[in-house]
Amino acid sequence: MFLALRDLRRGSRRFALLGAVIALVAVLSTVLSGLATGLVTDGISGLRALPLDRLALQEGAQATFSRSALQPEVLEPFEQLDGVEVTPLGASFVNAAANNGGLSLDLALFGIAPESFLVTRNDASDALHGEPGLILGSELADEGVKVGDRYTLVGSDIELPVLGFTFAGTYGHAPIAFTSLETWQRVQFGDSAKGRLSAVALKGGDPADINAAAKAAGVEVITKSAAYAGSPGFTAETTTMSLIRSFLLVISALVIGAFFTVLTVQRTRQIGLLKAMGASNAYVLRDGIGQMTILVALATAAGVLVGAALIALVGGSGAPVELNLAAIATVAGSLVVAGVLGSLVAFRRITQIEPAIALGVES
Amino acid sequence: MSLSSNTEPATSHPGNAPSALVVSKARVAYPDGPDVRVVLDDLDLSVSPGEIVVISGESGAGKSTLLTIAGLLRRPDSGEVTVAGIPTSALSERQLTVVRRDHLAFVYQSANLLPSLTAVEQLELVGHIRGEKPSTMRARALETLAAVDLADRANQLPSQLSGGERQRVGIARALMASPSVLIADEPTASLDPERAAVVAELLAGAAAANGIATIIVAHDTAALAHADRHLRLEGGRLHEFARTV
Repeated sequence: MFLALRDLRRGSRRFALLGAVIALVAVLSTVLSGLATGLVTDGISGLRALPLDRLALQEGAQATFSRSALQPEVLEPFEQLDGVEVTPLGASFVNAAANNGGLSLDLALFGIAPESFLVTRNDASDALHGEPGLILGSELADEGVKVGDRYTLVGSDIELPVLGFTFAGTYGHAPIAFTSLETWQRVQFGDSAKGRLSAVALKGGDPADINAAAKAAGVEVITKSAAYAGSPGFTAETTTMSLIRSFLLVISALVIGAFFTVLTVQRTRQIGLLKAMGASNAYVLRDGIGQMTILVALATAAGVLVGAALIALVGGSGAPVELNLAAIATVAGSLVVAGVLGSLVAFRRITQIEPAIALGVES
Repeated sequence: MSLSSNTEPATSHPGNAPSALVVSKARVAYPDGPDVRVVLDDLDLSVSPGEIVVISGESGAGKSTLLTIAGLLRRPDSGEVTVAGIPTSALSERQLTVVRRDHLAFVYQSANLLPSLTAVEQLELVGHIRGEKPSTMRARALETLAAVDLADRANQLPSQLSGGERQRVGIARALMASPSVLIADEPTASLDPERAAVVAELLAGAAAANGIATIIVAHDTAALAHADRHLRLEGGRLHEFARTV
């Protein structure tokens, strides 16, 4: 890259425009990546934090808790399996109005058995064993909710106190809340609950055995990550973000390809000169690809840094953005790959330039 | 030096030295509407080591085409070009590139320097293409620049050099390749007479000192003053104008 490095250093103004465009695309891609990560977190972080591997839901529920209502008998085939922890789970969205006139809360309410493997803290288990109440995600404590505050659940008119706080998390963009399974059933079905539940949470075990048990119980079993798709808006949000990011990559590939095509046309005589001097196609291509890679990598790095700073800045204000190093590394890597792919069109032209052009002779 | 017309194709130096460049029965034709225009018609040319051949001819006579054929920048439609004893018609493009790299060098009318390289880097690039070690490359480049009296301009970009200096860098770059054959396309045409004389003198001195077979396309007296042979390209063939003794 003898020529490429000197060209970049001394012709910096020529490359500044492309560098700025790539950097802006990198800023946008990074911020979008932060937004996608933030939206995913906002959509499923509560479910993701639950220590379960699989969920059994009603056939055809498509990973959606609201489409799944199971009888307690479905637990039996799973409970007979060795090495599998099994517990019933209720899940629904509720609106809780503050009795003291404060803000009402939209909650993703999970009903869990106090002694189940989903309850990892003894104090939480004790609280769920006691009087009916709510254990809320800790972010609500940051918003001023206190232990002992009382909320009336709209619809069922059941009044519940706040018993305590647990890890911060959301599901379907609503803060998570836990209550005992019995209380959840009362909230959801009133006096006609008959032990109904939304899903069976499973941990450990052989997938083949679990599938056989699911068949016997007449339910479908999905992995935890597959269950994310049931979070309201999750699939639409992640698909939209992926689409926008894909378009950005295509746009950057086209911009870089167009720039290097113009640059190659401008440098036709120079390239002919190099070939007349005895430079092989491989030599000229190495120089061009090296130059493009350095430019794209530097501009992308600058853009990613600015994007990360923006995410850190905006994230503090409560917007659903999150800095995820793996996601940002993917963005940066994808942009460089898109740049290389985009420039391949231009580099094809390089191989077709005849050395005779150095003498001003067109073949 | 008198120039007298001679209709006999006389394209070979009568000396005994083996030729560094031999163009034999080269034919090049271009489509010209419904017709075919023959630019080089079974053309023969041989140039010995250290010999300077100046070629002139009217515009469109095929001088540049002849240089591209002799410089292995393109292949003739038929015929053979032998450089440093290597017949090239059967060589692949890659092999042709290697012969060009190892045995040929060019000096252009407008110097054709790369705008982002300093004078010394223009020469180092030649070494880089040839895979030379950076340490020896820099020393040889500075030495070659000094030979064209530009040691003090080594770190200047082309935009900081005068026309004559640029052309001298172009010559130094050609010499850096230690070529068997040097091809110069009107190297003095864009220079004033004084600078043209310096450049022509340099080319002639380098050819003699290094035994380089040199072909110069030129019309001006600066180049002709140093010519061992002066040939005229007409009708697709070379004709001897006069011999300088």
